[in-house]
Amino acid sequence: MNATHSLRLLALFVLVWLGLPGCKDPRSAVVKDASIRAEPAEVVFHPETGAVAVDIVNTGERPLAVGEFKIEGPDWTAFDFVEPASATVLQPGERTTVRIAVEAAALRGPGEPMRGAVVEAEPAAEIGPDEYRDGLARLQLSAGGTPVAVPLVFEDPSWLGQYVLPALVKVLLLVMAFIMPLASLLTWMERKQSAMMQDRLGPNMARIAVGGVTLRLWGLLHIATDGLKMLFKEDFIPRRAHRALYNLAPLLAIVPALAVFAIVPFGDALCYGRSFDVLAQADVDQCAAGRGGTPLQVAQIDVGLLYYFAIASIATYGTTLAGWSSYNKWAILGSLRASAQMISYEVAIGLTIVGALLVYGTLEPHALVKAQLVTHWGILLQPIAFVLFFTAAIAETKRAPFDCPEGESEIIGYFVEYSGMRFGLFYLGEFIEVVFVSALVTTLFLGGWALPFGMLGASGFATPLMAQLIFGGAGLLIAVTGVAAWRASKHGETFGAVLILVGVVHLTFAVWSLFTGWGTELPHVVVVLVGMVTWGVKVLSLCWLQLLVRWTLPRFRYDQLMSLGWKGLLPLSIANIVLTAVVVYAMTRTSADPSADEGRKADIGVKSDAEGPGKSSGKPVAKPERGTP
Amino acid sequence: MTIGVKKVSLERTAREQIYLPAILEGLLTTARHFFKNTFSQGMGDIDTIRYGEPEVDVKTYYPERYRGVHRLMLREDGSVRCVACMCCSTVCPAKCIYIVAEDRGDDHEKAPKSFVIDELKCVVCGLCVEACPCDAIRMDSRKHMFPTETREDAVLGKIELMKLGGPSVAVQGGVGPDYRAVAPQADPRFPGP
Repeated sequence: MNATHSLRLLALFVLVWLGLPGCKDPRSAVVKDASIRAEPAEVVFHPETGAVAVDIVNTGERPLAVGEFKIEGPDWTAFDFVEPASATVLQPGERTTVRIAVEAAALRGPGEPMRGAVVEAEPAAEIGPDEYRDGLARLQLSAGGTPVAVPLVFEDPSWLGQYVLPALVKVLLLVMAFIMPLASLLTWMERKQSAMMQDRLGPNMARIAVGGVTLRLWGLLHIATDGLKMLFKEDFIPRRAHRALYNLAPLLAIVPALAVFAIVPFGDALCYGRSFDVLAQADVDQCAAGRGGTPLQVAQIDVGLLYYFAIASIATYGTTLAGWSSYNKWAILGSLRASAQMISYEVAIGLTIVGALLVYGTLEPHALVKAQLVTHWGILLQPIAFVLFFTAAIAETKRAPFDCPEGESEIIGYFVEYSGMRFGLFYLGEFIEVVFVSALVTTLFLGGWALPFGMLGASGFATPLMAQLIFGGAGLLIAVTGVAAWRASKHGETFGAVLILVGVVHLTFAVWSLFTGWGTELPHVVVVLVGMVTWGVKVLSLCWLQLLVRWTLPRFRYDQLMSLGWKGLLPLSIANIVLTAVVVYAMTRTSADPSADEGRKADIGVKSDAEGPGKSSGKPVAKPERGTP
Repeated sequence: MTIGVKKVSLERTAREQIYLPAILEGLLTTARHFFKNTFSQGMGDIDTIRYGEPEVDVKTYYPERYRGVHRLMLREDGSVRCVACMCCSTVCPAKCIYIVAEDRGDDHEKAPKSFVIDELKCVVCGLCVEACPCDAIRMDSRKHMFPTETREDAVLGKIELMKLGGPSVAVQGGVGPDYRAVAPQADPRFPGP
């Protein structure tokens, strides 16, 4: 296909795209009748749950009177309004909030069988007097004369089902399906990418024969061959080494690197029972709080970033002990350098994050990402912190240009005596740290799992145009890569064909959306998947960037390294804190002033909105506008 | 003669001290190479000759005047052209050509009883070819010296060298003073007077 031909096709595509909105949408003939939606559509309570706000939204196109709020159902006595809900008239798009609380004590014990209830064939599990039974009721209201019911569910989840099993599944998903494959991929990427940057071929010799076809896959198989080589090499221990510490050190290098991933959110939340429904943000928020779902983050702890500092510092022990226990002067030189360097740069990392904390007001990564969605991404609000943090984080991974502890060309470094898979653990740990730095930068500064410009909400893409842009763009990119792979070499034809197929599927979705306006209402599980893929793409791009930096810059001399850390990054990060504090203070004061511009409130973020949307029911409360980063 | 001294200021400018512009410049350069080599058709700027790959013919990469291993040319009757004049073994700077002469049996020429070249000693300078008066030894086979398991295998004798050779179009013994007139008939490639 020559260039003119492709241009002509593109022009046709654009013309069709521009022309379509001019055509009459057949669906617009059907006037949507008044309709009402509750957010969350199903309210889940746990024993320790406080009052829950239920938003009643008018999604129709006519004003609607809502009222006659009451709670009905088998366990209606256990639920109650926090303050009396009053009737109101909702304009299209407007919302009113009803706050409902559960009195858990009323649901304690087995309870009395309902009069007239059909006795179930299978008796329910025995419930002790101190345990809670499941409760079910509904919030009943009348919208324009039509009755609407919102289910209210009370449940007391088991410790196993609420915490252990989801955490296990998430750990497996994150470690086995993302971190380990990506870290192994990075060992290949490091070699191949550096080769491409230096006009070399890189690894390309490992091959496998599948059904008579010899596959090389651009040297991807070197991952497997390297792993095998490491496993079968002699595991050497120097005679005068401290055996216990020598054995412990590689574990101390890799275990913390994996453990810090616990705080990284790789998606918003997953609602178990309603994976294929279209959910509103309130439903997802409810799941993120653990009610009826689980946040896509292994450990949602309030001190998340402090946990990172605590665990990441343990990795320093790995390098230090490795050097000391090896009984080798070069190794101990490397470990001394490592400890000095990591202590210096951890100070800078900690102070850099403070700026982001001032803006977003939370240490918890999941909440941090949410705060970025409400306002702007961290890279826009904290550009200096982004650069400083990225620099210091690269220094924490002990890779070039901060690879003094290793210093390939001078001292080989703290793992000089290690061989076989013990060395492999150090090597892999380094790449896991690279992945983690990317994940953390994504969380702190690049809006985590979110697409830019608020393209993807909880229920789907913001507009059909966004869906077309994302799917069309991704499809084009994948297909073009596939064509490039096809044409690059004979070995790439199968891979290229698969890529082209995937790209065409994406493009089909884009075209489908073009003609039907599809994309604004997606099943929950699709939204979660798109979010996770977005997160993965961001992390992968940052890994690529780190490799680019590593193969571009030469190593710092040791004194330059120290002066950059203490005289460069540290003062700059303190200056960033002061600057941020002044700006935040000024803007908070402005927005506290009632005559101030309301628009600024959204800029400054969650602080002013932290108390939740409104306190009184019956009044329409404007949600903070979604920021456009 | 005076030596010019160029004085370079060692004072670092603000631009150098914040590192970032220079780093970005460097990143752009390497990224440009990366994208060009990864996504352009063919191999981009990569000049590596993929020697040993089954689909790659290494000879296409050889320079035009690549010599390769020696060969001994033949007469019309298939016997060796060499007349054992010892010019090549005399001029050889590596002293790797060993010739033992014998009587050819016809009126006026000698022939090599043995003609041995130690290819491990050879420096591939081509002086033997220049020295040869009767186009008997050539270095135009464009073949690599093949790998051998022992040093002895790398010493090529008359038979091996003649296997690589073929009949020469030159006139054996030369054509004498009137070669300008005779040569075009003998060799159609000869440009002529």
